Amino acid sequence: MSPCWVARCSTRPRGAIASATLGDDGSDGMLAAWQADDERQPGAVKIDPRCIDADGDAAWASLVLAPRGTWLLFDDVAVSHAIRSVLAGPPVDVVSTFVTGDDRFVGAITAVHDDEPTRLRDDPFAAIFPTCLVRVGPGLLGRTPTPVGPMTQRYGAANPWPWDRFPEARA
Amino acid sequence: MNADLVPGRHLPDFRLPDHVGNQRSLSDLAGGDPMLLHFYRGWWCPKEQAYFRKLLQLQDEAEVAYTRFVSVSVDTPEESAAFRAGLGARWTFLSDHERRCVHELGLLETTDRSHNPFVPTVLVLEPDLRIHAAFNGYWFWGRPTNEELRQAFRTITRSIRPDWEVPAR
Repeated sequence: MSPCWVARCSTRPRGAIASATLGDDGSDGMLAAWQADDERQPGAVKIDPRCIDADGDAAWASLVLAPRGTWLLFDDVAVSHAIRSVLAGPPVDVVSTFVTGDDRFVGAITAVHDDEPTRLRDDPFAAIFPTCLVRVGPGLLGRTPTPVGPMTQRYGAANPWPWDRFPEARA
Repeated sequence: MNADLVPGRHLPDFRLPDHVGNQRSLSDLAGGDPMLLHFYRGWWCPKEQAYFRKLLQLQDEAEVAYTRFVSVSVDTPEESAAFRAGLGARWTFLSDHERRCVHELGLLETTDRSHNPFVPTVLVLEPDLRIHAAFNGYWFWGRPTNEELRQAFRTITRSIRPDWEVPAR
């Protein structure tokens, strides 16, 4: 399993492995995912591939995205603090940081397959960059295993957290 | 303590619900890293509360050291989740509330007939679930100090990370 890319777009792009509408009526466009080894789409960010499931149910998501041209070092204390808060906090169904390059934190997604977004009110990543609470249609988001902890580091500099094993440990 | 739970032996890859209620296997939780596997009596035991305070001091180091912690008790997932939150622990708690593993591993503490808990036991595991070190914590001083755990994790990490001797010039 290798990391995936996701990006907001207006329609489902060619080559996407999964996609879903954003907003109750799809008025907020789409979120689509690609394999990491495919050509990177404009504005795409890397995500833990375990988040992506083309058969996944609809969900509520807290989508945290850095303003264009803005990023933090992944090892910034603000990011580490948010990750610790995720590990200590109540469980969610989907969580991944968004990264670009080897060291850039550019946001995160936290999602629940609930009818209400109540569990997303305290998304720790929302303290770092602007967030929007959005309904994600079916066909994109699965379930990530609850991170084992207490690890806050990436397994390989270019990978998102909580992806939790080095390549040689992947089965 | 169970005679099978000694250094060099492999632990069975058991599955239990975590504090969220999801079934987790030990091998998946290890994920290629060294792991502290900690069997404790339950949230109600003051010795366990004291020992958790020690482990909490170590978690700030473990979070950057590619090392996993897993704590196991006969508490329910809900009790485990509440205890974990109260402690401020950021690692996985497993629940053997059906008392399946406690019998399979031979770790039932027979002197406590009301809780039927695990004998407090700390295992340091290699990524393939081979026991590197085992500590019988029935008496509190039998439990490993954080320094003993650091030494064990250093030894395992040195043996499993091919770049321990970092290329440099």
